[in-house]
Amino acid sequence: MGFAYVLESGKFVVTAEVSPPRGTDISGALAGAGLLQGLVDAVNVTDNQRSMMRMSPIVLCHKLGEMGFETIMHMTCRDRNRLALQSDLLAAHAMGIRNILAMSGDYPTMGDQPSTKPVFDLDSVQLLQLIEKMNNGYDFQDQPIDGHTSICAGAVANPYARPFGPQLLKINKKVSAKARFIQTQAVFDAALFNEFADVAMHIGIPIIAGIIPIRSAQNARFMNEKIPGVKIPDEAISRMETAEDPALEGMRIAAETIADIRTNCRGIHIMPIGGHGNTRRLLEMCGLVG
Amino acid sequence: MLITRPKPIEEILSMLEMFPETSICVVGCGICARKIQTGGEAQVSMMTARLQQRGLDVMDGKMVRHACSTESWDTMVEENPALDKAGILLVMSCGAGVSLLGRLSGKPTLPALDTTSLGSALKDEVLENFCVMCGECGVGLYGGLCPKSGCPKSQVNGPCGGSIDGDCEIWGRECIWIKIYERLESMGMLHLLDGIRPPVNHDRRL
Ligand code: SF4
Ligand code: SF4
Repeated sequence: MGFAYVLESGKFVVTAEVSPPRGTDISGALAGAGLLQGLVDAVNVTDNQRSMMRMSPIVLCHKLGEMGFETIMHMTCRDRNRLALQSDLLAAHAMGIRNILAMSGDYPTMGDQPSTKPVFDLDSVQLLQLIEKMNNGYDFQDQPIDGHTSICAGAVANPYARPFGPQLLKINKKVSAKARFIQTQAVFDAALFNEFADVAMHIGIPIIAGIIPIRSAQNARFMNEKIPGVKIPDEAISRMETAEDPALEGMRIAAETIADIRTNCRGIHIMPIGGHGNTRRLLEMCGLVG
Repeated sequence: MLITRPKPIEEILSMLEMFPETSICVVGCGICARKIQTGGEAQVSMMTARLQQRGLDVMDGKMVRHACSTESWDTMVEENPALDKAGILLVMSCGAGVSLLGRLSGKPTLPALDTTSLGSALKDEVLENFCVMCGECGVGLYGGLCPKSGCPKSQVNGPCGGSIDGDCEIWGRECIWIKIYERLESMGMLHLLDGIRPPVNHDRRL
């Protein structure tokens, strides 16, 4: 079922993230995604996530499409000027990709190619506008193209970012640029998310909350320090420290977070660290399987 | 004002190695580089001494009034006759100054500084990244705070998600978008941020 249709249906959405390989062998990524069979409404495929060089997501989305998955391809403005964005949008459409998550992208100095020229020719709002133009059969310069795209575009938001005023300015522009859904960065603090959801309620498009099950206290501290926008509360970290089975405790914490935010979002997006081995179990704990 | 930063000495030395051995004159610029202390008298004599210590053939350093603007080479030489005798000019100014001196002198002319942005000097404080010379100035619509230069991602339609409690995730400074928002709010002009801004028209820079 197309993701746009799932969004329309009002169903509680479950998506999960996979990353393309850092090399030519795609089999590991496909096997990893295979664990999601029957569990998710769509699989997101990242685009040089955190500015770490990887294979183009177009290829992995296409392969996952062949396996029967609905995919959401991430597209950043960091690595492509408007010409390249348009080429890749056409390529993605031709490869059967129907959902794009438009984002500015992390800055190159955060990744493994720090001397890269950051492009940022368009911002995420302008990319959403570009997708809408191509959906209507036009290019950036308003010239007709041969066959329009049919892409359901989403946008990202950071529920932790404060003050709200400037964030809402951006989110409202994303909505008026025809974003059909918002996916958030990882939520570890349900109260902060709910505060965000309250002020963002009026935007009128579904909000899908990002979820990362933490694996260990050390891993949580590392993320707090290194990953932009991540804020894991001390309480969760001390629970991880004393837990007998930290991975299980991380899933419990994630399941509790999901329960606490569930009425304030339209779905969740699972971004595990190191593969989807536990994703089924987590979704079962949340009653989201079957 | 052009913002410059010193190049690593190793980079300067390896540039110098590419040219035949001849007398080097370190040239400072009396305007921006002097003001922000990257190419004033003190930096010129320090650079001269460092090159001398390495056994290079270095003349006394010189200051020009402005490296990027003069009547002619003759005018510069009139003020600093030694410039004409130098074999290589090692210039402590922005790239524009290096280019002009190279063009006018016809001598090998090398930069000792990196030019990083257009900024300001306010008393002793150097303010970087005021402008990236986009060719289509819209700074007035942002309360005088340019997001194309003040934001590493050149966001013109609002902050990215990395703006946490007012700080930018990338360079540890205040997120320019928080300042833009606050300034326009205090001016009662937040409506200037309504509507989606188009991307820069790069055609205008040609
Ligand atoms: S809008 Fe362009 S020209 Fe104006 S200050 Fe910003 S970068 Fe410079
Ligand atoms: S935090 Fe602010 S200044 Fe930094 S990249 Fe994002 S929008 Fe730009």
